[in-house]
Amino acid sequence: MSEIVVDNLTHTFGKGSDSALTVLDNINLRLESGSFNAIVGTSGCGKSTLLKMMAGLFDPSDGQMTLDGDIIKGTNRRRGMVFQQDAVFPWMTVARNVSYGPRLRGASKEEQAEIEKKWVQMVGLSGFEDRWPRELSGGMRKRVDIGRVYANDPDVLLMDEPFGALDAQTKERMQSDLLDTWSATRKTVVFVTHDLEEAIFLADKIIVMSARPGRVHHIEKVSLPRPRTNDMRLTDEFLTIKRRLWAMLEH
Amino acid sequence: MPLQKLKERLMGRMVLGTASVATVLLAYIWVTNLPDNNPALLPPIRDIFGAFIANVESGSLATALGASLFRVIMGFLIGTSAAVLIGCLIGWYKVAEYLFDPLIEAVRPIPPLAYIPIIIIWFGIGEFSRILIITIACFMVCVVNVIAGMKNVPQVYVDAASTMGATRLQVFRTVAVPAATPFIITGYRIALGAAWTTLVASELIAAQNGLGFLLQEGRRYFLTDQVMMIIVIIGACAFLMDRAFRVIQARLMVWSEARE
Repeated sequence: MSEIVVDNLTHTFGKGSDSALTVLDNINLRLESGSFNAIVGTSGCGKSTLLKMMAGLFDPSDGQMTLDGDIIKGTNRRRGMVFQQDAVFPWMTVARNVSYGPRLRGASKEEQAEIEKKWVQMVGLSGFEDRWPRELSGGMRKRVDIGRVYANDPDVLLMDEPFGALDAQTKERMQSDLLDTWSATRKTVVFVTHDLEEAIFLADKIIVMSARPGRVHHIEKVSLPRPRTNDMRLTDEFLTIKRRLWAMLEH
Repeated sequence: MPLQKLKERLMGRMVLGTASVATVLLAYIWVTNLPDNNPALLPPIRDIFGAFIANVESGSLATALGASLFRVIMGFLIGTSAAVLIGCLIGWYKVAEYLFDPLIEAVRPIPPLAYIPIIIIWFGIGEFSRILIITIACFMVCVVNVIAGMKNVPQVYVDAASTMGATRLQVFRTVAVPAATPFIITGYRIALGAAWTTLVASELIAAQNGLGFLLQEGRRYFLTDQVMMIIVIIGACAFLMDRAFRVIQARLMVWSEARE
């Protein structure tokens, strides 16, 4: 079980001052255990802010979020996060990056080696274990990032536009590979993106947010069958959803 | 294309570097061989070399070099160690920053050599005083770099580590320190240069031995060749130590994209 509930959450930057800015307004959400959720919206709708709060990187000014009933406050390894920017530690090899989390908790050399082997392979980086991040492409570094978070075995995976900087082909491959990994582990995923196609392809549920202040505008259930394949991107069902969401974001 | 290759090779680092050094050397030889050159002002290279041999044979060069190296290394080690320790604290912990930063900012613009008189008044002209001056100089230039390194740790690395469950201390140890290493190493290298600068100054003022003392002795007895020889020796020592440092730097920084 790892269900996230967002309860009457409002966030105001600089609360109480003249320049106070409400970025999130009365958000209520229930993200079921093991589901893949996408949050879409134009820039300024507070989707990244919401995700960072789920990670515990900062606290909302009003309301709360819970993970399985426990109030989210501060960071915790149960809520892993993949960032928009490159967060791979450049001073560690690929393998050492992947086993970073377990090493923090004193995993033995054997345990680390086992975890490295498993997750380096899972994210498709076999043969690159001993490389430095600077020797890898942007897409490969993102794989390290994802492998590292998965190897840390969180209950919830928070992803903040992780593929935003990648080229179209790499992005599609990363999306398919992410779904493979997700089906194998069934962790609750919250995936922030501004790319509608990405959201529809990946998610069970799409939360559409409106901007200034950020509000939940619409929740779209995606019932495309799994496993999802690339040719689904051109089916009527897919395109119907895309058209509907696109119209919403236009307003 | 072979012409292009030839040009590249001729314009290469080694060739151009050697050429500039050789030009200065040849110009010096030429000037000192002019009929009306005064060797007491510009001693010819054979005299400088003669002074070198004489000081090696008498053992005075070895003694001086030993004494000076000891001071440089001691001052460098103590100064940079303190700088890394205090710089890390200031750069990472807000309380330490509020506490120490104004102090360091106030003291930083004062040239270390300005402390020489007060140090002599307090501690005399012994070994301790000279090492103390070098220590202060190394600390001051190094600590600034360590603080900058700590403050420039990318936030996303800190966030990534925290969301993986790292404690504040673990983030410091496994993220902040390695991320700041490039700055810290630069601090060490600048400190090494500062160590040599202050060494000579401190030995010029008060010492019974050391390279600075030999310089002073050379001036007093008008041994220009000895003065020139010591200048070359100091240059060579500082150069070699800096080179050794670059090797260590390259080793430590294999991961960095901006290696030297």
